[in-house]
Amino acid sequence: MLRYALKRLGLGIVIVSVAMMMLFAMVYVIPGDPASVALGPRATPQMIEALRARMGLDQPIWMQFLKFYTSAFRGDLGTEVLSGRQVLDVVFEQVPFTLALIAGAISWSVLLGIPLGCIAAVRRGGFVDRVVGILSVAVIALPSFVIAIYSLLIFAVALRWLPAIGAGEPGNLKSQLMALILPSLAVGLGWVGYIARMVRASMLETLEASHIRTARAFGLSDRRITYSYALRIAILPTITLLGVGIGHMLSSSVFAEIVFARPGIGKLVYEAISVRNYPIVTGAVLVTTVFFVVVNVLADIVIGALDPRVRASFD
Amino acid sequence: MNKLSTTNLSRRTVLAGAGALGLASLIYPGAQARAAGSTLRVRSYGDIQILDPAYRLAAPEGDITNVIFAGLVITTAGDKWGWKPMAVETIEQLDPLTVAFKLRDNIGFTDGFGQMTAEDVKFSIERIADPKNESPYAGDWVTLKEVEVKDKLSGVIHLKEAFAPLWTSTLPTPSSTILSKRAVTEAGGKLGVKAVAQSGPYLLKEWLPKQRTVLVRNPDWKYEQGAYDEIHVHPIEDEKTAELGYEAGDLDYTWTSVSSITRLKQTPPADTTVVEKPSLAFVWFGMNKAVAPFDNPDARRAVQYAVDRKAVVDAAYFGAAATANGIIAPGLVGHREKNLYDYDPDKARELIEKSGLAGQTVVLDILNKTERLSAAQVIQANLADVGVTVEIKQNDSGTFWTLGSKENEYSKKLQMVVQRFSMQPDPSWATEWFTRSQIGVWNWESFDSEEFDKLVNEGKVELDPAKRDVMYKKMQDLMEESGCYVFLTHEVAGVMYRNSVVAALKPNGEPVFADFKPA
Repeated sequence: MLRYALKRLGLGIVIVSVAMMMLFAMVYVIPGDPASVALGPRATPQMIEALRARMGLDQPIWMQFLKFYTSAFRGDLGTEVLSGRQVLDVVFEQVPFTLALIAGAISWSVLLGIPLGCIAAVRRGGFVDRVVGILSVAVIALPSFVIAIYSLLIFAVALRWLPAIGAGEPGNLKSQLMALILPSLAVGLGWVGYIARMVRASMLETLEASHIRTARAFGLSDRRITYSYALRIAILPTITLLGVGIGHMLSSSVFAEIVFARPGIGKLVYEAISVRNYPIVTGAVLVTTVFFVVVNVLADIVIGALDPRVRASFD
Repeated sequence: MNKLSTTNLSRRTVLAGAGALGLASLIYPGAQARAAGSTLRVRSYGDIQILDPAYRLAAPEGDITNVIFAGLVITTAGDKWGWKPMAVETIEQLDPLTVAFKLRDNIGFTDGFGQMTAEDVKFSIERIADPKNESPYAGDWVTLKEVEVKDKLSGVIHLKEAFAPLWTSTLPTPSSTILSKRAVTEAGGKLGVKAVAQSGPYLLKEWLPKQRTVLVRNPDWKYEQGAYDEIHVHPIEDEKTAELGYEAGDLDYTWTSVSSITRLKQTPPADTTVVEKPSLAFVWFGMNKAVAPFDNPDARRAVQYAVDRKAVVDAAYFGAAATANGIIAPGLVGHREKNLYDYDPDKARELIEKSGLAGQTVVLDILNKTERLSAAQVIQANLADVGVTVEIKQNDSGTFWTLGSKENEYSKKLQMVVQRFSMQPDPSWATEWFTRSQIGVWNWESFDSEEFDKLVNEGKVELDPAKRDVMYKKMQDLMEESGCYVFLTHEVAGVMYRNSVVAALKPNGEPVFADFKPA
C-alpha cells in the first residue's frame, strides 16, 4: 500500500511540475504589458519601464522562469508589486471561499445524485428510472452559468429568498450558508446528473454480483441489500468521478463567482488575467493545480485502500 | 390505538424533521440577514488595490480615499461641476500663479499621527509633483513650483505658470489629498492597502478583499458629518450582476449598464429612482494614418463619409446615447455643437474609388465589450455598402490596451480601432492624448499636427474660458480634418438608488459617498 501511495504521490509531483511549465509559457505568450495596464494612461514611458524592472519583466525569459520555478518550490510566490502584498496571502485569503463553494457543490451532487441513481437502479426500466434518466441528461446539458442566472432571477430577484451577491456577513454562519446555496447549486447541479447515471450503472452491475444473490438467498431485505451491501461497492467509481469532477467544478466556479459577485480563486484569476497581473495569475493557478492534484492523489489512495485490484495493477 | 401512538417517531425521523425545519428557516424571506438601518450599501466597479492617492489605480480607489483622507477641496454633488472646502477653512487664488490656503483647525489624523498641518500639505502635493516619486498623477501638478508653509495651518501654493485645470481636475480630486507626512515616511514613502493616518468624514474600518470595504463615520470629524453609521462598498465588476443584486435588495445604489437604462426607466424596481446622467467619456472610431491604406488622406475621408454615426450609436447603446461632435462633452469649455464631415455614402464611394480602397479588406480592433462589438458591426455594414470589407478583431482588455504601444509590434499593423477614453471635467484631459509625443503611447491614429500640439500647451495655461473655448474647438477641428477620427458618442451614465436614499452624484453620475443621506 505504501509503495502504491508513493507512486501516486510521485506522479502528482510530475503533474504539478508540467503544469507549472505550461502555466509559465501560457502567461508569457499572451500579448499585453502588465506595467502599462497597471499604471494606466497617465503613466510616462519612464514610469512604465521602472515598473517593468520592479516586476522583473526586463530580465531574460529563462531567468524569469528559473526564478519562478525555484521560488515556487520554496513556497515563495513573490510579492504583488502595486499593493506590496505577498501573493500567497492574496491567494490564500480567497481559497476558503472557493473551497466552500466546491464543498457545497459536492454536497448537492452527492445528496441528490446518489439517491437518484440508487432509486433508478432499483426501479430499472420503470417510470422513475426513465424520469431520472431524462432529468440527469437535462441537468448535465445545462451550462452552469445558465443555472446561475436563472436561479438568481427566481430565488433572489423574484422571490427574494436568498441573497444575489456576496459571500454573506463575515462571522455569521447562517448568512454565509444562505449566500452559498445558489452558487453551489449552479456549480453542482450538472454533477447530480453525472453521479446519478454513474451510480445507476454501477449499482446495476453490483446487483447482479454473486454475493448480492447470496444475500438475497439469506432473506435479507431489498433495502438492506441495496444500501448496506450494493451501494458500498457501487460508490467506488463515484469517488474517482468526484476527484476528476473537482477540476471541472473549479472551472465552473469562475462563472458562479462572477455572476454572484462572490470572492474566490476563479474571480481572482479572471480579474488578474485581464490586467496581466502575472504574479497573481501564476500563484493562484499553481495553488489550484496543487489542490486538484492532491485531491486526485487522495482519491486514488482511498480507492487503492478499498480495492486491492487497483493496488495490484500498480505493482 | 390513537393516532399519536401509530406514528413511527424514530431518531432518524426527528433528525430529518429538524433538518427540514432548519432549511425552511434558512430560506424563509423574513429570516434573511440584510444590512439595514443606518447602513448604506453601494456598488463599486472594482476593488481597492492601493490606498495611496498618489498611486491610485482607478476611480473606485479615488471614491474611497476621498472620504477617508481629507483633501484641500472636494467636488460637490449636483448638475454643475463645482467644489467646496474640505480640509481648508479658506482657499483663494491670489493671482494666476499663487493660491493661498488656511487649513481648518482640529483636523486630526488617526493612529496617533496628530493634527493636519500646512507641512503635511506641502509634503503631500510636492510628493505627487516630484518626478522621482513616479506618481502617475504628477501631471496634475506639472506647473507646481513649491508649496510654501506660512505657519502651522497656512501656506501658499506657487505655480511656475498658470494652470487652467487647477480648480477642475487637480484640486477637487485625490491629487490634492493631504496625507500625514510622518505616517507616509514611516510607511517607507508609500501607503499600501492598510489605511493609516485617516482624516476624512468616514474611516475605513474593514477591507475584505473581493467582498466589501466597510467605512464608518469618523466621530472626530468636526465638520459636515457623514449621515450613515456605515457605508458598505461592494466591488462588483459586472454591471448586470450589480443590477440583479440591486433588484434582489442587496444594494441601495448602483451604476447600471447603458443597455438597461431604457428598460429601468420604463419599469424601475420598486421604490427606486433611475437617473440618466451625461457622461464625460468619449468614444470614437479611429484610423491609423501611419499604416496603409489609411496613409492616404482620401481613404480616411472616404471612411468618415461612409460611417452613419447615428446608426452606430443607436445600435451600440440601444437609443440611450446621443452622437458626439468631438471629444469634449457637453457642458464643458470647448464642446462642439456640430462636426465637419458626416454620413454621405455617395461622397464616400467617390473617394473610395479615387483612393483605391475599393475591394480591400481592413481590420478593425475593438475591446471585447458588447457595445463596442455592436458599434463595430454597424461600421462593418456601412463600409460594406461602399465596397470595403472590414474584419472585426475582438481583444481582451489586457491585449487591447497595448495594441498601439510602440513596444508592441502590432502597432505597426494597427489599421482601425474603436476607442473610449474617460476624463476629468477639464478639456485639457481630452486633448493631451493626441499630441505627437503620444504617438506610440495613446495616440494610436498617429495624428501629427504642430498646431494642435501648440494649442494643447496654450490651452493649459490660458485662464479665460472664452479663449479656451475657441482653442479647444479648433483642436477638435484639426483632429477631424486629419481624417483620422469619427466621433461617435459621449455615452450616458445610468444610476439607480432607493427612494430612501438621497444620492449625492457628480454631474456625470459618479458618487460622492460622504454626502449620501437618508431621505
